[in-house]
Amino acid sequence: MDAKISEIFDAIVNGEAASAKQYVQSALDDGLDAEVILNEGLVASMKEVGRLFEEGEYFVPEMLISARAMQAGMNILRPVLIEQDIKPSGKVVIGTVRGDLHDIGKNLVSMMLEGAGFQIVDLGTDVAPEKFLEAVAEHKPDILGMSALLTTTMSNIEATIRFFEEKGVRNDVKIIVGGAPITQAYADKIGADGFAPDASQAAALAKRLMGKA
Amino acid sequence: MRTRFGNFILNSPNLVPMPIGIYAGLEITGASVRQSVMDAHAQSEAVQALHERFNTPVMLTAMDLSVEAEEFGCEIRMTEDEIPTVIGRKVTSLAEIDRLPDPVIGSARSVVSLETARMLLSSVKGIPVLGGVIGPFSLAGRIFGVSESLEVSLTEPEVLKALLEKVTRYLIRYLTAFREAGVHGVIMAEPAAGLLSPRGLSQFSSVYVKRIIESTVTPEFTVVLHNCGAKLVHLPKVLEAGAEIFHFGALMDIGQALTQVGEDIILSGNLDPTGVFHNGNPQEVTARTRELLQAAAGHSNFIPSSGCDIPPHSPLGNLAAFYDTIRG
Repeated sequence: MDAKISEIFDAIVNGEAASAKQYVQSALDDGLDAEVILNEGLVASMKEVGRLFEEGEYFVPEMLISARAMQAGMNILRPVLIEQDIKPSGKVVIGTVRGDLHDIGKNLVSMMLEGAGFQIVDLGTDVAPEKFLEAVAEHKPDILGMSALLTTTMSNIEATIRFFEEKGVRNDVKIIVGGAPITQAYADKIGADGFAPDASQAAALAKRLMGKA
Repeated sequence: MRTRFGNFILNSPNLVPMPIGIYAGLEITGASVRQSVMDAHAQSEAVQALHERFNTPVMLTAMDLSVEAEEFGCEIRMTEDEIPTVIGRKVTSLAEIDRLPDPVIGSARSVVSLETARMLLSSVKGIPVLGGVIGPFSLAGRIFGVSESLEVSLTEPEVLKALLEKVTRYLIRYLTAFREAGVHGVIMAEPAAGLLSPRGLSQFSSVYVKRIIESTVTPEFTVVLHNCGAKLVHLPKVLEAGAEIFHFGALMDIGQALTQVGEDIILSGNLDPTGVFHNGNPQEVTARTRELLQAAAGHSNFIPSSGCDIPPHSPLGNLAAFYDTIRG
């Protein structure tokens, strides 16, 4: 691994946002290819963070600060990627469903997806089916992610899927779901395309759905 | 310290079932969640309804983890059918934490919790009553933001510790008010601490819970420390809090945990409240309860329970299956 890429990788895995930003800028200034910085620096480091989480070495705080470091680097890199017309792994619209204000899980999934090279459109919390529909029409994502923490709001995931069916757009987008009360069985029952029990596995799921895993 | 509640558990001839959650009682009384968290009569009636239906050996006040944050001035969203949720962040910096006033106990809905406890003690004699309170790290998270608290635990720990000092002083006063009401103790819910690493949990939760326990526990008053996010890897650090009873969620390997803690410490848990009690059916509840009892077989220092608060609208038949299976 190039020394500059290695610096970026280590800064993100260690959750050092200022260093990640500085090293990405330095790598660009030295003429490193933006796509290489993205894939071998940012994406690879977040994959490592996911591995450390799954192996029980990292916990949520470590994931959060690594994701912040990745985002700091991405903010420097993104304009260059756009300028060079380098496409993301895919586009994801994501939100917590109507009636639910919880966002930690959704935010972690967003960060891990961004770290896996996806472009994220985050609709926030308490998102009505109509708002999900508008966002899908506007942004034309490959994947729609919906989250719920409460048993009283998880039914709004199904309601949103049914709303998409009624409007005839269900097959326009892959739908992935998650949250504390959600299970694979529930995801299957309501007709979602995928379920992941945590943020790290959500990134792997999204890649599988894009045929890139 | 062994308390009267600990003795009640250990001296009972059979295991004492203690699922957490009063909201199932609303299925009997017909009150809404909002009424139960706003009105001590409604909350007390729900608990008593569960007691009459299932002969519950312990009565618990609601696990409403917005009560204390509201007393600190946090904005709360409340709807008819959902447990209240804290909105936004009350403080975002060390300066704001320093300026945050120490709340007066009873200035918001803690008065409902305390009054519910008093009502239960006076209306049903001889049955232990436990109050529901939040733990220090989880309260700090509601005031400062949960994600933000998790992040600053690594990046600016002094900020988090300043807030933890403040909430710990408040919780000592709140638990003292419960003790003075005459309850057998409280269940202190510290779910957010399960998101920390074991080292973080020790540093930002157990140290403060221990201080609260040392300031409030007497032979008449216990603290049951609930952590539904903890896994076996967290266990030694959770135990540092020094509680008499630890209550865990579905992520904990209860059989292994019982083996590790020895016989002096009482453990409780841990059927998935959503997957089993809310989404399951009586046959599934029976099967999962049997598995739980098998995992805990041979350990009298165990209280079979749900792993966390049983959600509103969970079928009463599932609760019945839980009690029936434990009582044989």
